[in-house]
Amino acid sequence: MQYKIEKNDISTLIDILASVYDLFGPVKTDGLTKLARIKSASNLDLESFNTDESAKDIFFPQYETIFNFKDGEIKNEFDKNRPIAIFGIRPCDAKSFLILNKAFNNGGVNDSYWNQRYTDAMIFAIGCNRPSQTCFCNWVNQGPFNKEGTDIFLIDLGDDFMVESCSSKGDDFLKNVSKITLQNPNPGDLDKVNQIKREAEILMSEKLDLAPLKSILDTQLLDSPLWNEISAKCLSCACCTYLCPTCHCFDIQDEKKPGTNQGSRVRMWDSCMFSLFTQEASGHNPRPTIASRMRQRIMHKFNYFVENFGEIACVGCGRCVRTCPVNLDIRGIIKRIKNEG
Amino acid sequence: MDNIEKELRTVIAKLFEEKKIDLVIGYTKGTLPLVSTPIFLKEEKDVDKLIFDVSCGNNLVKYLKRHRIVNMKDTKVAIIAKGCDGRAIVQYIAEGQIKRDDVLIIGVPCEGVVDPKKIRSKTNGKEVSQYRIEDKKIILKGNDFEISLNKSDVLSDFCLRCRYPNAPLYDIFITEPTKSVGTKDEYEKVNEFEKLTSSQRWQYFENEMSKCLRCYACRNACPMCYCEDCFVDQSNPQWFGKGTDLSDTIIFHIVRVIHTAGRCVDCGACARACPVNIELDLLNTKAGKEIQERFGYTPGLDPDETPAMAAYDAEDKQEFIL
Repeated sequence: MQYKIEKNDISTLIDILASVYDLFGPVKTDGLTKLARIKSASNLDLESFNTDESAKDIFFPQYETIFNFKDGEIKNEFDKNRPIAIFGIRPCDAKSFLILNKAFNNGGVNDSYWNQRYTDAMIFAIGCNRPSQTCFCNWVNQGPFNKEGTDIFLIDLGDDFMVESCSSKGDDFLKNVSKITLQNPNPGDLDKVNQIKREAEILMSEKLDLAPLKSILDTQLLDSPLWNEISAKCLSCACCTYLCPTCHCFDIQDEKKPGTNQGSRVRMWDSCMFSLFTQEASGHNPRPTIASRMRQRIMHKFNYFVENFGEIACVGCGRCVRTCPVNLDIRGIIKRIKNEG
Repeated sequence: MDNIEKELRTVIAKLFEEKKIDLVIGYTKGTLPLVSTPIFLKEEKDVDKLIFDVSCGNNLVKYLKRHRIVNMKDTKVAIIAKGCDGRAIVQYIAEGQIKRDDVLIIGVPCEGVVDPKKIRSKTNGKEVSQYRIEDKKIILKGNDFEISLNKSDVLSDFCLRCRYPNAPLYDIFITEPTKSVGTKDEYEKVNEFEKLTSSQRWQYFENEMSKCLRCYACRNACPMCYCEDCFVDQSNPQWFGKGTDLSDTIIFHIVRVIHTAGRCVDCGACARACPVNIELDLLNTKAGKEIQERFGYTPGLDPDETPAMAAYDAEDKQEFIL
């Protein structure tokens, strides 16, 4: 069911959310837009493109303690006291949670740290009236107004927001929200929504069918010289993987305080683009070159994840395109691979 | 700039034709406006892909060692060099990483490169779809705006204090060496920063470094970070934590500053590569200033001069030793 709310009501909505949830929203800081804890709508930035860093850090922190240990005893210190809500992320990031959920919570794997944060979270996403030059969500079966992974979806109509519940959690929330007037949209509003969607579509890059990609990668490219060519300018840093909303590889280490018997077992993001990622204790490294690491990154997203979970591990958010220090554009890599087919 | 590109393409085509080169490391148009991308050109027919303008920010010298090491030992390599690229090459020679004859240096007159962060701030976050340069102005066009700015308002801070716009060594120079656009005192920011109290300075570094994602884009973009086995990539022993704990993050940055002290050519590759806008130049510039003041050494100018940190002189100032 779609409703309309006045833009002025957003601050009331944020107040309500902040009183119940550990609330995050996009705010401008250091020349970037980042997701930060918010208590009110005063700093909320709903005008910018998707945030510079992805939203994954909220549910899958870059650095987190799994447990603490002292003199042989283990203490689990997970301390989430309130459910998490995120307000104002873009459809690509909302969708990324569904992909990460497949990696962390799939029957075989049941990652309690992910589950404790994500399972009862409320996701408010907002449609992209003005997609960026780097957006390519339409290549991965998404779109600027895709509602997957959201509980409540908003569309900016100028003076109002169109609000739609997309889950039972969203239904419950809208049913119980009494301080905001939920108006029924008139036909003019619905026309406006359609017009906004059409205008956004025009701004998107031309759609590319990625369905053939998996079989090309799987059957033709394992030992291809193509990877040398593709990765020639890659610096092998982790801009792409750390800013990627779906990359989820991590390392686990024990950090002991020197001279004591206490410390923590921590997990932190890791990146397949680092040589240390596959460095073995023997000294052997199965992925010693940038080309072999680049192959892994592309294979994981467009082949192995599809094999394991039935969909591509890319939401087309464009962050890797935007931040690559040498403009190694993944869209070009995809096109190049597709041409091999 | 059009003349520069025209002459650049003609010169490179001739070099290929005369079989004097097998590979050119240069710039080509990127996939986004005002963003160029490195290109490794191997054939004469592709010379029209080469560009040189305000978008050519990468320090290409990063690729010089890699392309020599990776199965290109018999390749005759040419590289397009701005002033800072040229200085990095000189430093490579001074540090024994390459020999002067290993590379054909094609100097280009650099009038500065743009800082995408400044552009973003000037357009209020709106995306530029087209740009053109008119003398000292840059005109930016987007979907619903067109603005004309002074070029100096959007040039990188590194360029605004650059004193070496031309490569100190070159085999061929495209058009003519240019005058520096660097109008600012190169140590202006450091001098101001030195006036703060130590707790204010520490506060500043804590604040900046807490943004760090540990993606190592700064290190990997830096031409002087060429160690084949960086301490960051060692696991036995592991020298410091891999997470975002501030003490670990700061160790990484301090070690990098110390290791590039008196070697850093102030190209700005680190700051440009940083995805979270950390001000990475301040500590590096401070280290460079110390080396300059104590040892009178400026890196990247003279391939025959022993680098400051590799030389010893009984007359060196030592008042800092307690």
